[in-house]
Amino acid sequence: MNRQKIILAVTGLNNTDNPGPGVPVIRSIKESKDFDVRVIGLVYENLEPGIYMEGLCDRIFQIPYPSAGSEELTERIEFIHQQEKIDVLIPNFDAELFSFMKNEGRLADKGIKMFLPTLKQFQEREKDKLPAYGKKYGVKVPDSMNLGTINQIADMEKKFNYPVMVKGQFYDAYPAYNEEQAKQAFRKVSAKWGLPVIVQEFVAGTEVNVVALGDGKGNTIAAVPMRKQYITDKGKAWGGITLADDKMMELTLSLIHKTQWKGGLELELIKTNSGEYYLVEINPRIPAWVYLAVGAGQNIPEALVKLALGHDVQPMTSYKIGKMFVRYSYDMIVDLERFAAISMNKEI
Amino acid sequence: MIITEEIKISDNGFVFNSKTGDSFNLNPVGFELIKMIEAGKEFEEIRDSFLQKYDVDDLAFEKDFYEFCAMLKHHQITLQGDPLDFV
Repeated sequence: MNRQKIILAVTGLNNTDNPGPGVPVIRSIKESKDFDVRVIGLVYENLEPGIYMEGLCDRIFQIPYPSAGSEELTERIEFIHQQEKIDVLIPNFDAELFSFMKNEGRLADKGIKMFLPTLKQFQEREKDKLPAYGKKYGVKVPDSMNLGTINQIADMEKKFNYPVMVKGQFYDAYPAYNEEQAKQAFRKVSAKWGLPVIVQEFVAGTEVNVVALGDGKGNTIAAVPMRKQYITDKGKAWGGITLADDKMMELTLSLIHKTQWKGGLELELIKTNSGEYYLVEINPRIPAWVYLAVGAGQNIPEALVKLALGHDVQPMTSYKIGKMFVRYSYDMIVDLERFAAISMNKEI
Repeated sequence: MIITEEIKISDNGFVFNSKTGDSFNLNPVGFELIKMIEAGKEFEEIRDSFLQKYDVDDLAFEKDFYEFCAMLKHHQITLQGDPLDFV
């Protein structure tokens, strides 16, 4: 069978102890029987491990951080596009999504297709708006409060008992068991991710997640639930297992239907001992553990590329239960020339 | 007592709850017990079989059996029916 040749650009090659989804996304699409893919890795840092992984990317380009402004980022993508005619681009960081969404039309005019949530979908699920989101779509969410200053911790204490979760707008979450820890976490999170800092009621239970893909018309194209079996000190899954949980699937399907979600997403849920599910976060992109879904039978990145290209994609409804992933770390030996090339030329 | 349909029991005594993701290792006696429960055998039948096969008295077996059953319920391996119905 003839495979369609595509040029795919992917960000998030930081396969560190806080891994980005880029490497598993590329791995998934390389396994596609429908695509013959040339991969362009887009990196922010010159030590992102994906740069140095043999056989992963055909070319690498460094791109400016979104904080430099979306214009600069878009111009850099357009420059890369002049050399490599990018068919599809998959951004994999929360923090860069806004810039890519804002310039989706401009990039599409140039022939670069993406499959992103709408700005409304992206913004209404932001952590500081989660209580309103839960109410609107009928999902249980932990109560939360947005803090603009450290002095508001006193107000927060009137509303919540310790422990609480202190969260950044984009990343990072720390449990705080007393005022001192709450202040420490506030300083850490606000210095890195700005304000507001979100304080969330602590819900005790088991952390479970769903990776899913919505077609933007209310249909769930793919969904696989997972339980983290091994969690790092950064709260990242280092091992996980697929579950047979009808309630999680119902919740996912209903949420995608009601929100008409477009693109990949990850639902972070807490299952309490009484069997209730609390939605603690929605990540508006494919998560780093997506390859588990591929191993269980649902190639979500491949389906996302097809949707971006305007192909008709039928929903995947089954997956293997009890499939596990276990991460590992691995030392690559790298020649200085490669490091020098990305550092000096901003491309390899 | 019914083993829930999400429970997968391997021949080596590995028990996996596909709904919660929990897994357990059973020793040979635990494995034998859970297989009999899975087969729908009543307490009396299981007791008689164990008393015949192992050097255990009636009371000790009954105590251990109920303890085992409580553990199965706690880990959602068996269905939680009427709370007054211990087994």
